[in-house]
Amino acid sequence: MKQFRTMAYPYIVWICLLIVLPMLLILVYAFTKAGNDVATIKFSFENFGKFFSDAIFLDVLRRSLLIAIATTIICVLLGYPAAYIIANAEGRKKVMLILLVTIPTWINMLVRTYAWMGILQDDGIINTVLGLIGLGPIKMIHTSFAVIVGMVYNFIPFMILQIYTSLTKMDKSLLEAASDLGANKVQAFLRVTLPLSIPGVISGITLVFLPAVSSFFIPKLLGGGQYVLIGNVIENQFLTAGDWNFGSAISLIMAVIIMISMYITKKIDKGEAMEGGDKK
Amino acid sequence: MKKIILAASLIAAAALAGCGSSSSSTSDAVEKYGSDTLKFYNWGEYVGEDVIANFEEEYGVKVISEYFDSNEMMYTKLQAGDAYDVIVPSDYMIERLIKEDMLQELDLSLIPNMSELADGVKNLSFDPENKYSVPYFWGSVGIVYNHNNVPQEEVEEKGYSILKDTKYKGRIYMYDSERDSFMVALKSLGYSMNTDNEEEINEAYNWLVELNNTMEPVYVTDEVIDNMANGLMDMAVVYSGDAAYILSENEDMSYWMPTEGTNLWVDSMVIPKNAENPKLAHEFINYILSYDASYDNSSTVGYASTNKEVLAEMSGEGGEYEGNEAYLPREGYEKDEVFNDNEVLRQKLSELWIKVKASK
Repeated sequence: MKQFRTMAYPYIVWICLLIVLPMLLILVYAFTKAGNDVATIKFSFENFGKFFSDAIFLDVLRRSLLIAIATTIICVLLGYPAAYIIANAEGRKKVMLILLVTIPTWINMLVRTYAWMGILQDDGIINTVLGLIGLGPIKMIHTSFAVIVGMVYNFIPFMILQIYTSLTKMDKSLLEAASDLGANKVQAFLRVTLPLSIPGVISGITLVFLPAVSSFFIPKLLGGGQYVLIGNVIENQFLTAGDWNFGSAISLIMAVIIMISMYITKKIDKGEAMEGGDKK
Repeated sequence: MKKIILAASLIAAAALAGCGSSSSSTSDAVEKYGSDTLKFYNWGEYVGEDVIANFEEEYGVKVISEYFDSNEMMYTKLQAGDAYDVIVPSDYMIERLIKEDMLQELDLSLIPNMSELADGVKNLSFDPENKYSVPYFWGSVGIVYNHNNVPQEEVEEKGYSILKDTKYKGRIYMYDSERDSFMVALKSLGYSMNTDNEEEINEAYNWLVELNNTMEPVYVTDEVIDNMANGLMDMAVVYSGDAAYILSENEDMSYWMPTEGTNLWVDSMVIPKNAENPKLAHEFINYILSYDASYDNSSTVGYASTNKEVLAEMSGEGGEYEGNEAYLPREGYEKDEVFNDNEVLRQKLSELWIKVKASK
């Protein structure tokens, strides 16, 4: 094994250059103000103070978390049955269903989100159809509804595939054992299938929540310029306002929030596993 | 939707052009200019249909176009070290780029078409001798409104304050640009849009927050063009050239430059210091000023041409924009201003704009 260890060095250099160094730069930016020389660098919490002392930014943060949580919950509710159906489908049908979930992800997200603009627009496809049967128009574009639809649509494949994987890995004989012991289908699902698929749900939640909480182009396109989420504030600081220090500070705040939420989900995951173990 | 089709056709056109011209002419271009590739950084939907393709064919070169939504975004990319050969920033940003020594002085002997420039766009305050910049388009900012739903007299009487009339709640587009939105607020309050008085800027901020919270405006950039042409909203703050296009597409729309004054602007071509191909860049600038390219540009996009012949023809009798009140910028009105670069205003605006939009 020893000779293989040297082969890891390029990889370590790679990690340092592409992951550790940028993170350190964000850290330095976050704790300094613009116009600092390397020689006279001065650390301060000013950027963080600016964020937490402003009700507007805190409100944006709250809104972003709410939208991301709503997206995640909808993805679980829609994704679980879908994954369950796929996992229990046979042969050809199963392959087709998996393809239907993954094919859209081969096309660029931005293009697919533009398509949703066309669908939800005031003179878009839905409202045109509603108009033909004498209904509507309904205001959809530039609302929270449109943003959540866009996020669920873009991120739900991650949820479905994670749950699907954990369902297929499950040992089918456990279900047979359950029915031998007198459990009906519902009981078998609740006592056996559901607990065993929780790890898939948890990793699905992580994969959906992370991009949902920091997405900036979905709210921008489907919510309009006035629909500001935390990702838009960060984008604005870097691209328009040119205040990289404040932008880095907000990014860091988000990173901490995400780390905490991942820690909590891990804890829940472990708790579930322990519980399942006890019952056996 | 139009944008996707446009993008797709641009890619197709670029692919075709690439196949067609890659034979002998390319090596000629390399010999003459030192390279056969030009990097052009421009506003979205801001160039004539065949302008780029014709240039590529005529000179045997390849043009790589990139697009920006705002001067500030362009500046950030430039500062991050991205190299472009020709960029089309606005007046105040050119002033800043000159101040920060980021532009090359032009070799005017390579741009003989400078003589074609209209009088109104020459030697303006941001570059008094046109040493660094060559005007591309010019125009103003105003309100496009649907005259069936919003009476003309009301718009002309109220000016910008009609944007805060709750009768039209949920029916307006604002332009998602800090400069233009603060211009509207500052002019409506009777201040100069070049103010560096923090109290006046804060007053304008409150004006915009109030508008944001009472009117449910939608902040858009280029989408405003198609959406107003389709009549989706009653009022929108737009650039004159986009307005000219909207008016020519939808006869229910009218354009008004409020009497409180507006922003007169000029977008000009410049060559940054780090351009990799300045020779070809000069050739490109000269080509854009030519009659054919100017005509195609102005006819497709709707902005006022900087070529005097094209400008006269378009707005004159039988011209494409005859009687279109948005095409010709208003000249010589004392309350109209050109943006200057001033640091206080710049910093305050970039800090406050995201807060205006997020204030609800």
